[in-house]
Amino acid sequence: MKPRPLLGTAVFFVLSCLRPTEERVELDLQVGRAEQGALSVKVDDGLAAVRALTDDSLVLWGSAPGFALELTASSARELRLEVQNCLPEAELGVLNGAAELTPLADTTLPTRKSWTVTLPAGSSRLALAAPDSESTEPFQFALLSDVQEAIDRVGDIYARMNEQPSVRFVLGAGDLTSNGRRDQLERFQSELERLNLPYFSTLGNHELGTQPDLFHEYFGRGNFHFRFHGVAFTLLDDASASIDPTVYDWLDDWLEQSRRDVHVVAMHIPPVDPIGVRNGSMGSRNEADKLLARLAEGRVDLTLYGHVHSYYSFDNAGIPAFISGGGGAIPERFDRIGRHFMVFTMDAKTGVTARDLVKVD
Amino acid sequence: MRASFLTFAALLHATTASAASPTPSPRPDASQAVSPPDSAPPGPDGALPTAAAVAPGLLVHGAGHYALGQPRTARRLLLMEGIGLGLFLSGGLTIVFTGASRYLVAPAASASMLGFGLFSTSYLADIYGTVSNDGGAALTRYRLPATWETELGYRRIEDPQFAYRDFLVERVSRQIGPLRLSPSGFFSLRGDTARYRMESQYRLAGNVEDARPRDVSFVDVTLAFTHQRYRPEHFSRSLAELSLDTRYDLARLGPTLRGAFIELSAGYALGRTDYDLSGLTVPSDLEHLLLGRLGFGVTLRGQSAPGSEALLYYDHRHDDYVAGLKLKGIGSGVIGHFGLAARWFFTERVGVALDAQAGSAYLAGASLLFRSPARPQPPETTP
Repeated sequence: MKPRPLLGTAVFFVLSCLRPTEERVELDLQVGRAEQGALSVKVDDGLAAVRALTDDSLVLWGSAPGFALELTASSARELRLEVQNCLPEAELGVLNGAAELTPLADTTLPTRKSWTVTLPAGSSRLALAAPDSESTEPFQFALLSDVQEAIDRVGDIYARMNEQPSVRFVLGAGDLTSNGRRDQLERFQSELERLNLPYFSTLGNHELGTQPDLFHEYFGRGNFHFRFHGVAFTLLDDASASIDPTVYDWLDDWLEQSRRDVHVVAMHIPPVDPIGVRNGSMGSRNEADKLLARLAEGRVDLTLYGHVHSYYSFDNAGIPAFISGGGGAIPERFDRIGRHFMVFTMDAKTGVTARDLVKVD
Repeated sequence: MRASFLTFAALLHATTASAASPTPSPRPDASQAVSPPDSAPPGPDGALPTAAAVAPGLLVHGAGHYALGQPRTARRLLLMEGIGLGLFLSGGLTIVFTGASRYLVAPAASASMLGFGLFSTSYLADIYGTVSNDGGAALTRYRLPATWETELGYRRIEDPQFAYRDFLVERVSRQIGPLRLSPSGFFSLRGDTARYRMESQYRLAGNVEDARPRDVSFVDVTLAFTHQRYRPEHFSRSLAELSLDTRYDLARLGPTLRGAFIELSAGYALGRTDYDLSGLTVPSDLEHLLLGRLGFGVTLRGQSAPGSEALLYYDHRHDDYVAGLKLKGIGSGVIGHFGLAARWFFTERVGVALDAQAGSAYLAGASLLFRSPARPQPPETTP
């Protein structure tokens, strides 16, 4: 081959990338870990983002209804611990160590709680959870995604959500912002103060618009797994229309752990768009079918997606699937849906017992 | 993409400028019958027209031909750019402002693809016309499709999502009048995946008999069936597709473009995915695909035997081994993949095919081509 064709081939190949998600997987692994002077923190499974850490204060943003963390202090000290985006009824407990906790009532937001933690030197393990987190009683959660440029009106949706007395938390399937800019993430966070429930979300392709690493800084991991009331939840980062090969290994573990449980899997982009010619789906149908085969083999009970700004109910690989992109971003025309969110009633013994489409407009 | 196009143009220049044999003259009436040459005298030779095609031509397609003294061809390329841009924007804006409505997305996406095809190929054509100095030789390089053609080759596929890497590729092609039947297969050397395809193409319009046509444009209708299996991942997919495939001879726009062509295809596929999970009965999934392909190609000259050509293309397929392009930003997954395909025949019977594609995976490889000799051509008659 002559040099010029060889150069041409090289140029041609660098135009695309095979693992656009690789850096975000590295970021996932850093979520929940921080060290500052005499204090270090490590949140198990990265289920909370460290928003601030000083020698005497720690601020976390929760990605799940409950999580455990390890605090290591080089000397005894008193620490103000604030957890944002938590269940209103969440309580902090000591798993091991001699730490002492004193609840503080210094915030009016139901999803924000703080404590004074008296830490001895060495490691202490704490856990945040709702008192009924290990119960297997039925519960409800909501699904909302694709807010984007409709952030000015999202308060209407939150108001309707606040009217749902049994909903414990909101699951997000991404596209919270238009471009993932810092000011947009800040705005999304400030609007969440109107919601009386925590919002646990993965990211969407719109969070990749300017600075893809900011989502992790604000809202934590893109790929994570948690349990609540005996139901397993897995959120996956497929914002680049693909799931990173490393995450498939994590997914295999999560599927194996939850094989006998009711299991909900959510991600932004549906593996296969029910309107196939639109291709609002993964970049590779082969990868999509590979993922669906794994979810089916793992006995997943429910798959939830966003990305398409409408509402679709269908099955993929025999698993009930819903696309709910009703946060207000440019809606799919002529579908007669408009802004909406969904409410699911879950039972750890029987699965999804009810689902409702709540129209806001 | 621009960098890729420019590199492709450089490749073309290297190929066309290396014609060792004296440039055969086209038949006296050949170019005129297709498109009368510009009446303007030939413009400046050398690098200026090419530079004009590359730089200002980025915005004003046809700039190179203006510099070359071919104003009519330049205007046609500019018109092509305008139509392409219009189609691309109208399709794209329809998608954006209707939220990719299920009722409009197929025609809107098709319009966008067609627009992108016209826009990009008019740019490439402008560059081609300024670097190609032996367009007339292309007339002697045409070859009717071989009655029989076989392909045996190797492809390397780099896809982080799948373990397969090395493939054996086979294809047989049989031409029966306007009908071409082409069974083919991709076989992973690990035995974990295979792709079988049966393609039948019928020429609705265009040459199938003239060994020295004045115009190589054609319109084909293609009916194809594909089956892919992925044993380790427990699924297989069967697909039926129907598409309209066209080639447009760019000599219709101007004599400097002889030897270059555009390919445009559009179609629809319906597929079924079956899951093979032990102990589980999983219902099949139906899948729909919008097919679209657009490319800019050239007839290769130089030392190659007739029937040699190269094609730079975009393919909207998302179901094959290369699938849709992954990007780091917002738009990942929507667009398909890009490819560069070339067929170079050393002799009347033997050649090689080169294949490079970039999408969700990278594919590169080559095949040996064997074809039956061309049918004897009737002697040219002098009027």
